[in-house]
Amino acid sequence: MTHTDVVAEFTGWLTDFLPNDYVQRYQQYRWDPVLRRDYQRAAFEAGWLQPTWPREHGGRELGLRAAMEIRLEAALRSAPKLPNIAGPNVAAPAIRQFGTPEQIDRLLVPLLRGDEWWALGMSEPEAGSDFAALRTRAERDSPDSEVFRVNGRKIWTTQAHLSRWCMLYARTDPAAPKHRGISCLVLDLHSPGVQIEPIRMASVSDETFCEVLLDDVEVPVSNLLGPYNGGWHVALASLHHERQMIWIMNWVEIQRGLESVRYACNAKPGTPPAREGACLHTDTPDSTVQLRTLAHERGDVFADLGSLLADAEALRATGYRALHNELANRPSPEADILKLLGSVTLQRVWELSAAAAGPGSIGDPHLLFERQDALAATIYGGTSEIQRNIIGERLLGLPKG
Amino acid sequence: MDVGLNSGQLALRDTVRDVLRTECPPGIARQAMTDPERWRTVWKTVVDLGWTELARPDVGDFGRLDLAVVAEECGAALAPIPLLSSVGLAAGALRAAGAATNDVLREIGDGVVAALAVHPPGARLPGVPMTLQQGRLRGRAVAVAELCHAELVVTLATGDDGVVVAVARTGDGVAVTPVDCINAAQPVADVEIDTTPVMTAPVDLESALATPLMAAAADLVGVAGAALARSVDHAKSRRQFGKPIGAFQGVKHALADNYVSLERARSLTYAAAARLDDPGTTPAAGWTAAALAKAAAGEAAVSCTRTAIQVHGAIAQTWEHDIHLYLRHAWQTAATLGDSRALYHAVGRRFAGDAP
Repeated sequence: MTHTDVVAEFTGWLTDFLPNDYVQRYQQYRWDPVLRRDYQRAAFEAGWLQPTWPREHGGRELGLRAAMEIRLEAALRSAPKLPNIAGPNVAAPAIRQFGTPEQIDRLLVPLLRGDEWWALGMSEPEAGSDFAALRTRAERDSPDSEVFRVNGRKIWTTQAHLSRWCMLYARTDPAAPKHRGISCLVLDLHSPGVQIEPIRMASVSDETFCEVLLDDVEVPVSNLLGPYNGGWHVALASLHHERQMIWIMNWVEIQRGLESVRYACNAKPGTPPAREGACLHTDTPDSTVQLRTLAHERGDVFADLGSLLADAEALRATGYRALHNELANRPSPEADILKLLGSVTLQRVWELSAAAAGPGSIGDPHLLFERQDALAATIYGGTSEIQRNIIGERLLGLPKG
Repeated sequence: MDVGLNSGQLALRDTVRDVLRTECPPGIARQAMTDPERWRTVWKTVVDLGWTELARPDVGDFGRLDLAVVAEECGAALAPIPLLSSVGLAAGALRAAGAATNDVLREIGDGVVAALAVHPPGARLPGVPMTLQQGRLRGRAVAVAELCHAELVVTLATGDDGVVVAVARTGDGVAVTPVDCINAAQPVADVEIDTTPVMTAPVDLESALATPLMAAAADLVGVAGAALARSVDHAKSRRQFGKPIGAFQGVKHALADNYVSLERARSLTYAAAARLDDPGTTPAAGWTAAALAKAAAGEAAVSCTRTAIQVHGAIAQTWEHDIHLYLRHAWQTAATLGDSRALYHAVGRRFAGDAP
């Protein structure tokens, strides 16, 4: 079966799955929790959730190239966003890579089906970009104790209040250098001593932050994920998986942003948008639309639009270049630009969309959401400043500061 | 879609790089700034090695990605030779017209120098500067790189049945006015033509410009990468406040941003080359891919060379230091065939559905 065939099969499956008015009513469906849960489960059962994985883990053992084509196709079709991205995209690869047979058996399928959600317990009030400075402690009362006793405080823990499990990073050797004394534990968030406080967000978002307070929480030693004191390595590997997905997610959003700019440039007075999914300015009064049609006001948009089209195409081409090198067993340093470029482009495209809408941008709640959501992209998964340090130090070989 | 170099192209890149390292260190470009004959020995080496045969799509199985590889290395070496002009720009425009141009491409393949005249006076974007009426080619074009060294001028003309690519021999009826230009190592001239062309063939305008844009992009990616490498070397060795200046985030992050800009442009250039080699690509899609590559590469080359000057500090202001040679090359090539803003504007306007 060729790549084209398998992508066509996926497209057919997706068309059958989605409601007939999905494109027209995308703006409602994109927030529909039932549709998104059903999508994850159906994708798991059909083998499209993690296409390179074996059938029992929601895949069909496809090659990397076919998997990327499928992800891009899903992106182009605005396939529903997974409701709990941290599960399938961060925790699941780590469980497969580092988990014991018992852990894989217990945790993986409920995660992939979407029955059990996952949170990532990384950030703390005093440990953000400096993740290795974390202070949450996991201690054993004696060397042969069967449980870790965990005390500490995690913050910005997305969706913890809806999750069953947390990939918790805690200090297990206070005497070791800070990178080498961390372990990753699978924490049952229903355990006694766990207190979860959702934090009100500045934007309308279903990816709510929580604070997670851990007071003498007992975690079985058998819930250690990866080597004892090897948590730093687990974190790097799972963030590496996440980074491979982040650019495609950014790219999807960028495509929608570009479409919204195109719409803003072409809106005629009184014309309803042809496709809600492509255009976010659905509630704009006619007077604003008239402003947008003035040719001399569009001219300045075009150069920025062209530059953003270059960014979007460069993301995709760089993704393909990295894949080309990976398949040939060559290093793929160019992949390290994807997070930085994708996140900045996402912000620029929605700012341009706002500029093209003129004062109409003020009264558009969808556009407000996109602009706020884009601002998170240069922070999560490693800030842009950290990305620049990585490029400067690891790729260019510049000395550490 | 596949983007990237295969093992044959990587070997070609290494060969070209090795030859230029010996034959053409950056000092050669400095000499060429003041010695108008300096380019000839380097050019003879390049022609003898057969690199100009990349002009001929009818020979061997070299595609546009191979052309991009060689153009990038020549840009990186600041080679003061008309390889981009002859093989990338002139031959790139000619090959869009099909087999009718094979005889001229054979000449270019043998090392005859050609220049591409596609800038109508006063225009930022390349276009059709000439007319062809009753067999007579007439018109003016500006900013023609390497015209002073060329035997052949390739241009685009409006004829009775649409656009044609036309070739004239320099000499009678081809008035060349040299420009006192930024990068005298690759001199630029204006041209006024009133002559009988040696060849004309109908051509699609977008297809005729696409390969030249892609080749210019590759040249600029080479300059950007070489300038960044010089900056990184300097930032590792130059110490201030007790440590290498590359340890400071102000410098480190500027160089990381250069790297993003460079790889963004390189990805777009390789992707454009792959697209242009795919017979299923429409002329509009090919032009768009090449225009975005050229725009991105112009930005990358200018930003990497400007940062290089900042990182090197005062010494970068001197004639004897190499960095101004990179800057001159970047500024000059970035300004021809459409500056980055003009190209972005053209692509953005098309995407928005606003017909030019």
